[in-house]
Amino acid sequence: MTIASQSPRDALIAAPTVVSQLDPDRPPAARRRTKLTRNNWGYAYVAPFFLVFGAFSLYPFLYTAWVSLHRTSLSNIDGGTWVGLENYRNLLQSEFFWNAARNTLTIGILSTVPQLCMALGLAHLLNYKLRGRTFFRTAMLMPYATSIAAATLVFAQLFGRDYGLINTMLEAVGLERIDWESGTWTSQFAIAVIVTWRWTGYNALIYLAAMQSIPGELYEAAEIDGASRWKQFLHVTIPSLRPTILFTVVVSTIGAVQLFGEPLLFAGNGTTSGGSSGQYQTLGLLMYQQGWSNFHIGQAATTAWAMFMIILVIVGVNAVIGRLRARADR
Amino acid sequence: MATVSFQQASRIYPKAERPAVDSLDLQIADGEFLVLVGPSGCGKSTSLRMLAGLEEVDSGSIVIGDKDVTDAPPKDRDIAMVFQNYALYPHMTVEENMGFALKLAGIGKDERATRVREAAKILDLEPYLSRRPKALSGGQRQRVAMGRAIVRNPQVFLMDEPLSNLDAKLRVQTRTQIAALQRRLGTTTVYVTHDQVEAMTMGDRVAVLKDGVLQQCDTPGALYDRPANVFVAGFIGSPAMNLVTGDAVDGGVQVGSAVLPVPRDQLTRAAASNGKVTVGFRPESVRLAGPGEGLPVRVDVVEQLGSDAFLYTSLADAPDDVLHSADLVVRTEPRTPVTTGQQLWLSADRGALHVFDAQTQQRVD
Repeated sequence: MTIASQSPRDALIAAPTVVSQLDPDRPPAARRRTKLTRNNWGYAYVAPFFLVFGAFSLYPFLYTAWVSLHRTSLSNIDGGTWVGLENYRNLLQSEFFWNAARNTLTIGILSTVPQLCMALGLAHLLNYKLRGRTFFRTAMLMPYATSIAAATLVFAQLFGRDYGLINTMLEAVGLERIDWESGTWTSQFAIAVIVTWRWTGYNALIYLAAMQSIPGELYEAAEIDGASRWKQFLHVTIPSLRPTILFTVVVSTIGAVQLFGEPLLFAGNGTTSGGSSGQYQTLGLLMYQQGWSNFHIGQAATTAWAMFMIILVIVGVNAVIGRLRARADR
Repeated sequence: MATVSFQQASRIYPKAERPAVDSLDLQIADGEFLVLVGPSGCGKSTSLRMLAGLEEVDSGSIVIGDKDVTDAPPKDRDIAMVFQNYALYPHMTVEENMGFALKLAGIGKDERATRVREAAKILDLEPYLSRRPKALSGGQRQRVAMGRAIVRNPQVFLMDEPLSNLDAKLRVQTRTQIAALQRRLGTTTVYVTHDQVEAMTMGDRVAVLKDGVLQQCDTPGALYDRPANVFVAGFIGSPAMNLVTGDAVDGGVQVGSAVLPVPRDQLTRAAASNGKVTVGFRPESVRLAGPGEGLPVRVDVVEQLGSDAFLYTSLADAPDDVLHSADLVVRTEPRTPVTTGQQLWLSADRGALHVFDAQTQQRVD
């Protein structure tokens, strides 16, 4: 018994001594160089990804920046004239841009907040031992697997003014029918519903995976400490999920800034104006309109970069919040 | 402060063939330190969790004080539990961890702080109150888990292998600290462990379980001196008791070529069911005898521990018989000039023989 318990400890103590004996013989610079050469194969293995990344992400990314500094049209992209930051000045002075930015923000809030809250609730329910939970988990992912086009067309029908199911039901309970598409808030609400429907299950599954890694002992300890189910959710589940929640907030926000398919198809006629008065034109739609309807590809590139900047700021703010919380934890 | 009693309490897991805990009857006195011990899967943790309310009771009942808690949720039982992995809330500081139950109970901030500080003082945790569990060592985490239990001043402490994650030295140290703390607080404690040394050193009484059935519940001394059956005899004590089975013959039990002397009436009763008798003797009650006297054995391994030495031997003249080839362990003075492969003769002290019916495995006195 004694022999057995002694030997692993000896091994642990012995290992670092060997290393530290080697250390002083070599200057640190030489060691770093050997490390780099030793990692050559590592670089070779990750190279394919970075080649593809360079060709299809980094190059277009920088090229877009270059285009955004030119007045140029879709038919002759390389032949534009240098205008410096004029496109950016125009964009910031354009009422269309601010309208689209405002719409993107409101639709983003209307979809992201309920979506994540509902996902959290659903994940909590699915975390219980229920009969046929594999079925429910699969069902959760179904909307995500549906094509945006199909889903949006169905929802556009549901929200239809004259024959839409929702208006029919509103009338059935004695309320007035609503012209969903033409109103600002109603149209944005309808689009938010589509987005929420599509992404709630996806986020719920992410939360569920994170929940399943919370040790059951924590819940038992909380139960013995006298915490009700709700208090357990509040004091055990939510704090444990904090990094996951931050992640889903970032991902959903990026998705919300880039929102494009749903408002495009919700119009029903393929126009990029986002409704008759642009009441649900998002930044994505605006960019498409500038580039492919008005052929001002330089302006479209500028909008693309503006969207990128917005995402960068939001992700940065989230990272700072996460960092501050982590520091507070320490 | 309260008594605890299990009354025919059983737990049968769905789809299980046999109960995890089978009609457990156990009375624990007020202020007693009771240890549940047994090998893995013997139902000791399940019994504790039934008492905690984390596991259903399928039949029978559990009473704490004079209140039947069989169907009560954990929070209505006035118990505190220390978990094997401590189950500290990772996002709360030590102070918040310890005060969480008080907070949920609606106790004011000032009183909470006072009580947490009191417990922290007892456990030397004062410098760590604002740290999170992540920033603590294993031993400190263990103490926080203890502190969380103490702060609540419950009727019963439940501890589920609280020392199993500590290193050997710290475990021995913490073992005595917990026992001393329990005596000082005088709170009824039920403690689960698989380590019989822990059980023997800490408990006022020790309950030995096997396959969900209580084998024996008695003081550590009584368990050691008068084990109720072969299982308890083999489980309690380190190194384990030597157990050999042989035919009852005139004057004793035939083991190999030798006969272990057993009094006649004891032998008759022990051999009543199938003529075979199991005899046990502790390593320390074996003497080295002169050549030709007693059991001839061959020394396989010599273990020098400094304070004593253990000889691991096997019967010299019955190498092929599976039943008889069991190792016999002998404790001798350290630095006895014995070498591996040497042949020795053993004799056991007469009064130190434990006699069991080989069929029923029960003790025969």
